[in-house]
Amino acid sequence: MEMRSFSDYLRSVDDAALLNLFTARPDLVTPVPPDIASLAVRACSAPSLARAIDSLNQWQFQVLEASASLNEPFLEKSVVTLTDKEAKGALEHLVTIGLVYPSEDGLRLPTQLRDVIGIEPAGLGPASMVKLKLSELDDAPADAKKVLDRLVWGPPRGSVGDIKNPGPGVTWLLDKKFLVPLDQRTVILPREVAIALRGGKIHKERFIKQPTLSGAKRDERQINLAAIANVSTVLRWVEELLNFWADEPADALRAGGLGVRDLKIISTHLGVDESCTAFVAELAYLASLISIDADDRILPSNKFDIWLMQTPADRWQMLASQWLITSRVSGLVGRVEAKNVAALGPELDRVNAARVRGLTLQLLGENQGTAPEWNSFKEVLSWRAPVRRNSSLQEELAEWTLREAEWLGITGQGAMSKFGKQFLGGDDLSSINEDLPKTVDHILIQSDNTAIAPGPLEHEISQALAMMAEIESRGGATVYRFTESTIRRALDHGKTGDEIKTFLVKTSKTPMPQPLEYLIADVAKKHGKLRVGNTSSFIRCEDTALISQIMNDKKLEILGLRRIAPEVVICDLDATDAMRVLRECGYLPAGESANGMILTGPKSNRALTKPRPPRVIGEVEIPDKDSLTNAIRTLRTGEKSTYRQTRLRQVASEALGQLPRTTANETMEILNQFIIDEKTLSIGYADNNGGVTHRIIDPIRISAGALIAKDHATGEVQSFRIPRITGVAPL
Amino acid sequence: MTDGPLIVQSDKTLLLDIDHPMSTECRRAIAPFAELERAPEHIHTYRLTSLGLWNARAAGHDAEQVIDTLIKYSRYAVPHSILIDVAETMSRYGRLRLEMDPVHGLILITTDTAVLEEVIRAKKIAPLLGARIDAETITVLPSQRGQIKQSLLRLGWPAEDFAGYVDGQAHEISLVQKDWKIRPYQELAAEGFFHGGSGVVVLPCGAGKTIVGAAAMAHVKATTLILVTNTIAARQWREELLKRTTLNEDEIGEYSGAKKEIRPVTIATYQVMTKKKNGVYAHLDLFDSYDWGLIIYDEVHLLPAPIFRFTADIQSRRRLGLTATLVREDGMEGEVFSLIGPKRFDVPWKEIEAQGYIAPAECIEVRVNLTETERLAYATAEPENRYRNCATTRTKRDVVEALVEKHADDQVLVIGQYIDQLDELSEVLGAPLIKGETPIKEREILFNQFRTGEIKCLVVSKVANFSIDLPDATIAIQVSGAFGSRQEEAQRLGRILRPKSDGRGAKFYSVISRDTIDQDFAQNRQRFLAEQGYSYKIIDADDVFQGKI
Repeated sequence: MEMRSFSDYLRSVDDAALLNLFTARPDLVTPVPPDIASLAVRACSAPSLARAIDSLNQWQFQVLEASASLNEPFLEKSVVTLTDKEAKGALEHLVTIGLVYPSEDGLRLPTQLRDVIGIEPAGLGPASMVKLKLSELDDAPADAKKVLDRLVWGPPRGSVGDIKNPGPGVTWLLDKKFLVPLDQRTVILPREVAIALRGGKIHKERFIKQPTLSGAKRDERQINLAAIANVSTVLRWVEELLNFWADEPADALRAGGLGVRDLKIISTHLGVDESCTAFVAELAYLASLISIDADDRILPSNKFDIWLMQTPADRWQMLASQWLITSRVSGLVGRVEAKNVAALGPELDRVNAARVRGLTLQLLGENQGTAPEWNSFKEVLSWRAPVRRNSSLQEELAEWTLREAEWLGITGQGAMSKFGKQFLGGDDLSSINEDLPKTVDHILIQSDNTAIAPGPLEHEISQALAMMAEIESRGGATVYRFTESTIRRALDHGKTGDEIKTFLVKTSKTPMPQPLEYLIADVAKKHGKLRVGNTSSFIRCEDTALISQIMNDKKLEILGLRRIAPEVVICDLDATDAMRVLRECGYLPAGESANGMILTGPKSNRALTKPRPPRVIGEVEIPDKDSLTNAIRTLRTGEKSTYRQTRLRQVASEALGQLPRTTANETMEILNQFIIDEKTLSIGYADNNGGVTHRIIDPIRISAGALIAKDHATGEVQSFRIPRITGVAPL
Repeated sequence: MTDGPLIVQSDKTLLLDIDHPMSTECRRAIAPFAELERAPEHIHTYRLTSLGLWNARAAGHDAEQVIDTLIKYSRYAVPHSILIDVAETMSRYGRLRLEMDPVHGLILITTDTAVLEEVIRAKKIAPLLGARIDAETITVLPSQRGQIKQSLLRLGWPAEDFAGYVDGQAHEISLVQKDWKIRPYQELAAEGFFHGGSGVVVLPCGAGKTIVGAAAMAHVKATTLILVTNTIAARQWREELLKRTTLNEDEIGEYSGAKKEIRPVTIATYQVMTKKKNGVYAHLDLFDSYDWGLIIYDEVHLLPAPIFRFTADIQSRRRLGLTATLVREDGMEGEVFSLIGPKRFDVPWKEIEAQGYIAPAECIEVRVNLTETERLAYATAEPENRYRNCATTRTKRDVVEALVEKHADDQVLVIGQYIDQLDELSEVLGAPLIKGETPIKEREILFNQFRTGEIKCLVVSKVANFSIDLPDATIAIQVSGAFGSRQEEAQRLGRILRPKSDGRGAKFYSVISRDTIDQDFAQNRQRFLAEQGYSYKIIDADDVFQGKI
């Protein structure tokens, strides 16, 4: 059977080879293809090929490029010639992952592969159509050499002014077919010429070996010490953040996520910068320790309580394992070029985040005891994952991963820690529990009203202290400060002064300084001296016997009476209702005013609110003096006829004050009448602001809801909207 | 996990467990770069600041040493960010240098042109600079040496000053240690200052700051200008210098309201320096009248504003600031450091006490209950008069009386703020009163009588807050003060801290009206001392009357 196609090849291989292929390219079996033919189709599809190419390191990719520059079928030997003898290993790998496959007559590439890596692999043009005398290249004139130098390392295309009239160098090259015209302005360098000029190889440099990662060597003990400090810090951050949100929930932005203001608040609270804050918030979010409720408030979830009960190792693992696989990138928050990307928001996902993160950690794992130097790390990274697709953020992602790994304690002082190793290797993490500083169960109180916990405190103690003191300094130890307001806070939370004292005496290794004792006693003494409550009315009586009587009166139960002093009772109902009820039960109450005066005499009920009389619609406002003078001046100048002027002067002032209100129908009627009669009218006209002005007009016609008339004041023809005419009167 | 005495916190504070066997060793190791913030009984708090780290660089320590020290003594792992921060901060020092060039005069020179480019573009720096010489060098106006150092410090690029100090006119001064010996910490302080060039020495009251001054003069061996708070203090300095050094009476001048002598060693008062004549400071010329090799500022925390300004102009002279309490309620501590120089020496009060150089002191807050009438008067007083109202209540008088009676055998100082209250107390107690209007002569007589024991009890106003040396006073009773001033409280305690001949302890009573702002202010006043490890005992006035204490 002839074996040419990729599917033929796949049919011929054994199960082990298929297994290798599927391990390297898991997308081929999700979902499992029904038969080999469809497997081959999938494996040759552009997206799958691109993904496979992404997994290549720089050397493997160079070998692939070399293979792509050969005509199929090709031999391993030719690839080696074009690259290096090390290419054999790389080729084997390419075969394993199905980017090159053997057929009867030699090696072949899956169809479409050439499309995916580009039609000009390694900057090489197409193969020449004719046989070339490459030896003549040495005799090329200087001009031609210059052209060749420009094109040899790609891109192989060059533009010439006009193909019919090129320079002398290009002419020579075209003659010898060392250049091939593509169109009117473009020429291309054939592959063979370029390879010859490149000295028989494809690449200027062959990156066969991974560059060595340089960086500071760290002592293993120091690494683990630093890492365990980081582990305890990150656990503390998460706990503190969530405790903070439990007290003061942040509001999620409408677009989702945490606003810049809230981020700043927690950043100050935790005492770390904003990028670290965003990271901590994201960690909690990934581990489902927070949820955003229906009111868009960000609150700790009930998983947080479960989390708190776990051992440090379990707590840490819960955070780290989610971080490892997430596609969310907290490093994006707060970058200058993307200001509105919010932590916990919807815009943090990046496709290659988990891949780059994995690769970064893998590199750290391969270089135990080394805190990589960034430039060297970048080099190694780009050899391992030469940037081809989705490349935009690869370096930043790696940088952020290094930073976050340190925050998490996967690394310590920049080098992979034993916890990181155990975590990535899926091993038991109980060493975290053992290595974390032992919790302490005591504090040291000092006479300057501070208390110091010389190590991580037991959970209950730290919770209790957090209530009665303010944290002044955090880290391995915690410094608390007692002030009047912190003691008050504890009292507000239902502790008594004695309880606070007993707790501190019990917890403190040092005797309780007297000033603190006094501080607590002083605050406790003052606390709650003033009582505040709500009530609707009070009942007062100098006769305490009467007060006792109404307190015991079953019929008055409806009033909800409470005696707050021998002579004072407060009541749930308001004063009027209370008086009514009291009267009904046969008592004789009287009202009391705010300054203690008795309110007697016939009571006439009056509303308590300010009166708001209804607006008068259609009223013509009485013009003030100015508008009157204006009107008069207008009349004087506007009228031509002396007779009419005289007459108008007489009537105007009368008419102004007594413009009758007319209904809409009347208005229309009068207007129509006057248009026919061509007589002068006086109208009230409401302006845009609702103010009514008085106009004297000669109506002309009615058109589209407006009255067209000559206004005497301006002497111009204007339109008046009918609904705004408040009244019409003949002059 | 090591079990060191030091806990390095993520906010750059260092907590030192002083009950730990290695604590003394550790304190010595961190003192060069960390600043002591608080020193209460059990855990001392130090802080890593940029200034402290740069001073350490200036004194020849490098980042690696600092980091090693932190790691060596730390109980828990040192946060990585702190290590990075230390290295970064320290590497900023010395990129810029101030040098004296034979051709161009004072120049600013750099090893990193980018830094120079950055600073010469800063608004505050540009006016202080002269012509650019080349890419790495630029001239600085000689009069702006202090200013440019201060501004560069604020920009975060401190300049290393190689321009040196003027030697001043040489004058032979040595210590004469016949019947006394300089104490180790005084020697350390003087040396610390001399090697640093300029700076502030912080020592508790009564720990012998004058001798540090004298020792510094003996190191510099040049004409010296000493600025002190008042005439009495000036005379005390004079006495001490005569007693402790080779200087004779003709070599020491007093420049005060009373006398205007200018001698190789001149002691001037702040008051006369800041006196204005026709709107100008008439006496600031004193700074130029001699080629001073050293200027000493006594009680530098009181440095008045005009002297502040002038000090900025004399950066080429050595300056020594002496104080017990560098806390200013106006927050000007930073200015003092940048003008006089960084803190060169600081030691917890309790440590000096432990060594026996200052008397152990007991601080007692006596709380008096106001009578009903007084409470009412207090409750209705205008807010601006409230403190005065509760600080001067009649009830306090009886308590003071009882206390003085109880300590009839001791030398007692009654200290207060309000003159009418003191007048009244002086009358009731039958004790003389020293206040602002008391003439210097009379003051000296009274102080002398007090020292010799002729007078057992003295009532003083705030004129006696500082610099008054009363070796045998063992009891101080404070009845009122300048609101919440922390340094006043400490200075007043300082009056009784001179070690007593019989090794007795001192007692400092502060009489406070209960449940008033007097009590709130007292709490603030006590903060400095509490942070130095003085634990206040609170007692009730009735305990005093019943003789329970």
